[in-house]
Parts: sequence; C-alpha cells; structure tokens
Amino acid sequence: MSEEFEPNIVAFLCNWCSYAGADLAGTSRMHYLPNVKIIRVMCSGRVNPLFLVNALQQGADGVLISGCHPGDCHYLEGNFFARRRFTLMRNLMEHVGVDPGRVNMSWVSASEGAKFQDVVAEVVEKAKEAGPMDQFRRRQLNW
Amino acid sequence: MVDNKTLQNKAREVISRDDVRRLIGWKRGTFGFEAAPAVIKDPSGADDLIFDATCVNNLASFITLEEKPPVPRGEEPDTRKTAIMVKGCDSRAIVLQLVEKAYERDDVIVLGIPCSGVIDRRKAREMFGDVAGAVEATCEGDKLVCEVGGEKKEVDRKELVMDKCLRCRYPNPVISDELLGDEVEKFADDDFSDVAEFAKKSPADKWAFWDEQFSKCVRCYSCRSVCPMCYCVECVVTNLRPQWTRRSTDISENTAYHLQRAWHLSGRCIECNECERVCPVDIPIMTLNRRMTRDVKELFDYEPGVDVETEPLLASFNPQDPEEFIM
Ligand code: FES
Repeated sequence: MSEEFEPNIVAFLCNWCSYAGADLAGTSRMHYLPNVKIIRVMCSGRVNPLFLVNALQQGADGVLISGCHPGDCHYLEGNFFARRRFTLMRNLMEHVGVDPGRVNMSWVSASEGAKFQDVVAEVVEKAKEAGPMDQFRRRQLNW
Repeated sequence: MVDNKTLQNKAREVISRDDVRRLIGWKRGTFGFEAAPAVIKDPSGADDLIFDATCVNNLASFITLEEKPPVPRGEEPDTRKTAIMVKGCDSRAIVLQLVEKAYERDDVIVLGIPCSGVIDRRKAREMFGDVAGAVEATCEGDKLVCEVGGEKKEVDRKELVMDKCLRCRYPNPVISDELLGDEVEKFADDDFSDVAEFAKKSPADKWAFWDEQFSKCVRCYSCRSVCPMCYCVECVVTNLRPQWTRRSTDISENTAYHLQRAWHLSGRCIECNECERVCPVDIPIMTLNRRMTRDVKELFDYEPGVDVETEPLLASFNPQDPEEFIM
C-alpha cells in the first residue's frame, strides 16, 4: 500500500461546549483534519463506554470523547461522571492490549475552536501511530 | 471454623421463625471438591447443611436470582425474609447489593461464617485426579484434611485453596446478623503483584494473550449468571434492541462481551472468583477484574463492598479525580 494510512476517528461531542467549539472552528474557517466523524450527544455523561467498544468494532481506529471543562457542564456534573468512566475504560482497554492512544478525551469549550483543531490533530496523530485497528474489528461476512 | 452441629441448630432456629421464608446454605455435593447450594424452606432441611472448605459457592447471587411473578389479584405478596449463609467474600457481595439497593437490609438475615479458605477444584484435580464421591475437607491449623474415597489425606492449606483466599483481606464477614464460629486471621495482604506482573507485557503480547483466551469463549454466559453483582433483570448482552453484542462467537463479539462484562464490574467486583471458577473453558476472567480493582483502589481510593454507607463508585464523583490523559 503506497497511500498513507488515514485513520477513522469517531468523536462524541457534547452539544453545549465541544460541538459548539467544533462549530466555531468551522465558522472561523480553521481547518481541522477530515478524519474525524462527529456524533453529537447532549452531554459527555451521555456517552456509554460501550459506545467506544462498539465504535472500535465497527471500523473506528480511534475515539474521542469531548465535553465541557469540569465545572462547566450544562447539566452540572455529567462530565465528572464521564471522567471516571473513561479513565477506567481506557485502562481496561489498555489491559487487553488496545493501544491507549485510541481512546482520547478532552475538554473543549464553546470558544475554543483552535483547541479543537489541535485536539483533532493530536488524536489523528496518535491513531496513525497505533496503525489500523484490526484486533477486534467485526469481520464483514461474505455471503 | 464452625462445626456442622452448631450450624444446623442455628439454621433450624432461623428457618422456624415466622418471618423467614427460606434459608440459603450449602449441602454436601454429589462428587468432587465442591459443595452444592441448598435452599431450605422448613426445619427438616436443616440437617443437610454443612460448612467446610468445599463450600466455594457464593450464595449471594441466589438472593436476587429468584423470579418474582406478579401476585394474583387479592393476594398479598410474600414479604418474609431470606436467610443466607455467607463467607467473608460473599458478605461483601451482600454489602454491595445493599449499597445498590437491590433489596432492603430488613429483607435478609445474614449468618456470617468466618472462613479459612476454600478449595480450588482445579488445583484439587491436579493433586487427586478425578474423584468419584463427594469429598469432605476440614481445616486443621495450616493443614487441610480431605477425605477422598474413605481415605484421609493431609495437605498443606496453601497448596489447595483458591488464589483469592491466599490474598483474602476479609475472611471474616463484613456484615452479619449473627456470626457462627470464631473469627479467623487473614492470610495475607493483597499487593496486586499479579496485576503489576501482567502490566509489564507489551501491548502486542497482551493482545496475543487475550486473543487466545477470548477465542476460547463459547459465550455460555456462566460468568455473568453466577456473578452476585450481575443481577439486572435485562442484561445488556442478551438485549436485542439495541443489540450491543451480536450472538456470534467470533473474536470481535467475544472481546466486546468480555469488555462489557469487565466494565460493568469495575468498581463493583468483590473478588469472589466465581466467574473464573465456573468458566468451562478456563478463561482467566479475574485477570480483567483484578486490574479494575487495582485501578479503582489506586485512582479513586475506593473498595467495593466493605461499607454499606458508601455510594457506588460510578454513581459518584470527586471534583479532584485524576485526569492525566485528558487533553
Ligand atoms: S454538557 Fe458538556 S459535558 Fe455535560
């Protein structure tokens, strides 16, 4: 394969901060890498860690969960719960041998378009390093 | 260790009470090194009950297993209590179930039994081979006296008990209405050296290990069914809508299943080792759970199932939780 590997990143962004942050990046014409596929959720506390397993199964090479800064969550404490969950889930993934660079989390507020750009660049970089996710991706059945 | 006469008398006394519906304990198994769970509903059943080193089963899962069909019109639901015998590790399951409000404290009568280790059937099999009849095993100091096929054999306790017992911090029940027998000394402290050892492997080695282990899985869901903490009426792995894992047994779905299982038990595993014991294909499931236990302890200074007053780990937070990996 001569082409460079382009990872698939699934990003779960909370509606109130990170999604607006990504939007700001867009409206201010900052270029962020197109590898990232954004899924809008109402709060980072909405993201079930099983989403992450499912995303990796279905073709993602990396996952990003992003929410408001601690203390700024629209629902007051959703991101605190999310932080605990993903700390543990990331460790569990690492324990079974999934590259920890595939599981990322960030705090991006609605005014941090530039930070969103950087975060995406870093996530893509890490996923490129880790290579294609082939450990437990679903095999397509060929009937 | 409590002698069987005291235990049976106590059981008879408890089950005779008007407000007790059933008592869950152990009786002699039919073969090998494992006792069988017994649910007794009237005093006559009490004579079968025993406790010795073969009583491995964690009976706490039976409290929540009972199916509760709707009560016919005009009838009152049966609100009588369940009495249950617990070892040290089993009692932690009760505590955690109470923390999670699976039932009320008043719904159960806990008969605690200090335990000095239970036999690992895999180790026993290596030592004695297949045994036809049921084995009796009593603890005498540092020795286990096993009666195998009418013959008495003395074995060093450390060689035959489960690994979890070698690092057991709670051999005495942490919750009990009545304590049968004298309290015992714990073997040792848990230093999580096995987890640290595994963590040294490279990611590729780790995956190679788990790839092999998860490929063996036949998805019988025994580990889930036996787990005292897996008592959801509807389980995420059998749900069809949404379907989180497909039912095929390939490496992808198996890994997803095991990650789900371990994840749902993070901060909730009380280390009774039941999942690993019942696994028909010998997957080292506790290796996953132990890692979670260690992390929970190190990161959040939390130990599940020791205090009824605490909140469940993932239903609470501390604003100062570590967040090194967050960008
Ligand atoms: S609303 Fe943004 S993290 Fe909760």
